[in-house]
Amino acid sequence: VRIATCTNILKLLLFLQRVLLLVASDVDALCACKILQALFQCDHVQYTLVPVSGWQELETAFLEHKDQFKYFVLINCGANVDLLEILQPEEDVLFFVCDSHRPINVVNVYNETQIKLLVKQDDDLDVPAYDDIFRDEEDEEEDSGNESDGSEPSEKRRRFEEDVIERTMRRRQKREWEARRREILFDYEQYEYHGTSSAMVMFDLAWIMSKDLNDMLWWAIVGLTDQWVQDKITQMKYVTDIGILQRHVSRHNHRNEDEENSLSIDCMRIAFEYDLRLALYQHWSLYESLCNTSYTSACLKLWSVQGQKRLQEFLADMGLPLKQVKQKFNSMDISLKENLREMIEESANKFGMKDLRVQTFSIHFGFKNKFLASDIVYATTSLMENIEKEGPETDNFIKALDSLSRSNLDKLHQGLDLAKKQLRAIQQTVASCICTNLVISQGPFLYCSLMEGTPDVKLFSKPVSLCLLSKYLLKSFVCSTKNKRCKLLPLVMAAPMDVEQGTVIMVGIPPETESSDKKNFFGRAFEKAAESTNSRTLHNHFDMSIIELKTEDRSKFLDALISLLS
Amino acid sequence: LLQGRSLGLLLDLSADGLRQALEEMRALYERNQADVSEAKSGRTDLIFLIRFRHCCLLRNQRCVVAYLYDRLLRIRALRWEYGSVLPNAIHFHMSAEEVEWFNRYKKSLATYMRSVGGEEGLDLTQDIKPPKSLYIEVRCLKDYGEFEIDDGTTVLLKKNSQHFLPRWKCEQLIRQGILEHVLS
Repeated sequence: VRIATCTNILKLLLFLQRVLLLVASDVDALCACKILQALFQCDHVQYTLVPVSGWQELETAFLEHKDQFKYFVLINCGANVDLLEILQPEEDVLFFVCDSHRPINVVNVYNETQIKLLVKQDDDLDVPAYDDIFRDEEDEEEDSGNESDGSEPSEKRRRFEEDVIERTMRRRQKREWEARRREILFDYEQYEYHGTSSAMVMFDLAWIMSKDLNDMLWWAIVGLTDQWVQDKITQMKYVTDIGILQRHVSRHNHRNEDEENSLSIDCMRIAFEYDLRLALYQHWSLYESLCNTSYTSACLKLWSVQGQKRLQEFLADMGLPLKQVKQKFNSMDISLKENLREMIEESANKFGMKDLRVQTFSIHFGFKNKFLASDIVYATTSLMENIEKEGPETDNFIKALDSLSRSNLDKLHQGLDLAKKQLRAIQQTVASCICTNLVISQGPFLYCSLMEGTPDVKLFSKPVSLCLLSKYLLKSFVCSTKNKRCKLLPLVMAAPMDVEQGTVIMVGIPPETESSDKKNFFGRAFEKAAESTNSRTLHNHFDMSIIELKTEDRSKFLDALISLLS
Repeated sequence: LLQGRSLGLLLDLSADGLRQALEEMRALYERNQADVSEAKSGRTDLIFLIRFRHCCLLRNQRCVVAYLYDRLLRIRALRWEYGSVLPNAIHFHMSAEEVEWFNRYKKSLATYMRSVGGEEGLDLTQDIKPPKSLYIEVRCLKDYGEFEIDDGTTVLLKKNSQHFLPRWKCEQLIRQGILEHVLS
């Protein structure tokens, strides 16, 4: 298996003339991009950065720039399709792909010349063996039967028969090989999942080059946290990766623990935290955060009256007066904030919330500025999918990219405000879906469709927001339903995308279980269903489980999907 | 690099104003002429009036010259600001004589620059503030199209694309407002 080692990249970085960076529109990609930009700037490698939000944009950008660049770096896009087939590049074009999408297309893995994959050494790719999928063309016609060698007719006939037998044997072998190949590829490509965060891979690269900085480490942390917030990786992988990052954090930030030698308060420092997983709670009020975090909202069932009562009991159990809890977190009484985490954890255990605390990191600079990694993830995601401003999508991308720099605090705060709106909208939509029983079982999966007039429905025409909504909805649904079978089903969610063009955006997410491996089969399922019904679908997103389709084709598409998966 | 564009407007040469001033000067001069001959022939009380008109003439002269000189100073600053080719909008506001002055100034500056700094000469209009780095990160604010860099390669400047390019190539586009320097 040919995977580029980091030393390879090192050498190339020294000789690279100019590079084109194609960056996907998710927070992990943005973080990886920031790290790579910093590395390039350090070494004066000229580059151009083009944001892409889907396959079409990727192709367009490639076509526009292919005359000017020989080296392309793709971040969080391109690994799961046959790149050479789609882009048809010249022979001397080189692609560096740093993508957390799995499975990596076998052509990309086995291509030795044009595609270099940036993958961590210990990331298990599970790629099928070369000989099982590729085969050189062998000579099939060996015309030994036609040689005139003056042998007797009976011998000739025998040799002819032997030939025929040989040929049929070979043909059968080929067919068997092809059938096995199809099976292997089907198994390999059936489930989509995610590997190590691209930001972490980039940070690794920086570390190997001894050019890693605390800033880059923070971006790596945010990239990993984005994978966690979006539920793209398993709990175990998250904890393992946190462990890896923690070692780096100690290495960069140990000076803070020394009382005498510590750095000025204005210097940026990262700290490990075993903090509450309440979204944005330090920039909001504790009450709002409890209501709008999917974990607490689902466990306490806050969409029902009983749930609200349970919340009050929960707060009473901790001795937190309502007035305090509804205030801005920073204005809460210090006495209440002192042992808040331990207190909440204790009470949460009584109410069935055993995982209210999570391992994460926080960043500190100046007296006022403290943020948890998840805060940044929510803020950046909201900036990237901001529907409030008219303008090209790339505007949002640029703003989100800017907000990751510490000098752009105003953009970060704007992102935090947008994130609060987004989280509130999600919880309200979830509550209304559950209360009005909008989640119905279609047999092999659950289905929920948002109607056009639903409040905040425009927010959910964006892929990441819709995915977040779906995950939170599924969590809540699993907590609310008594049907044991339904708890194990995956969810397909649809929302109106563009009313004028009559399109709908649809996502499929895997079932919500304790030990879920987060593997998603909807990518292939959507493809097959679309083919079989000739529905007008657009599989533009880099995650294959997110598609657009025409509203009119929706019902036949769903029917096909149901029969496919039954 | 960012403040360059606010060097003051060069409005149309106020031909009317100049004409009025010159008219006034001529009128004053003529009356003075008339009065001088009268004064010579006896009327000494007119001397004060003549002196007064003379002061007015001198003042008008000073004003007109100051106005023209101020314009020239602005035009000279434009050479440092925009380079040797002025944008059409500004060109439009200059009078023919001013254009000629500009061309001659350009030539002097070029001769001087060539004489300094060895064989190739030294472009003094680059890097007026000492640069902090060889390359800078720029963001494209409008669709511009293809832009050629030193080694012959081109960069496609599309809205919202970001580039890391040599500083000296970007300066002009930054002044024109097509690129924006990204500080991070």
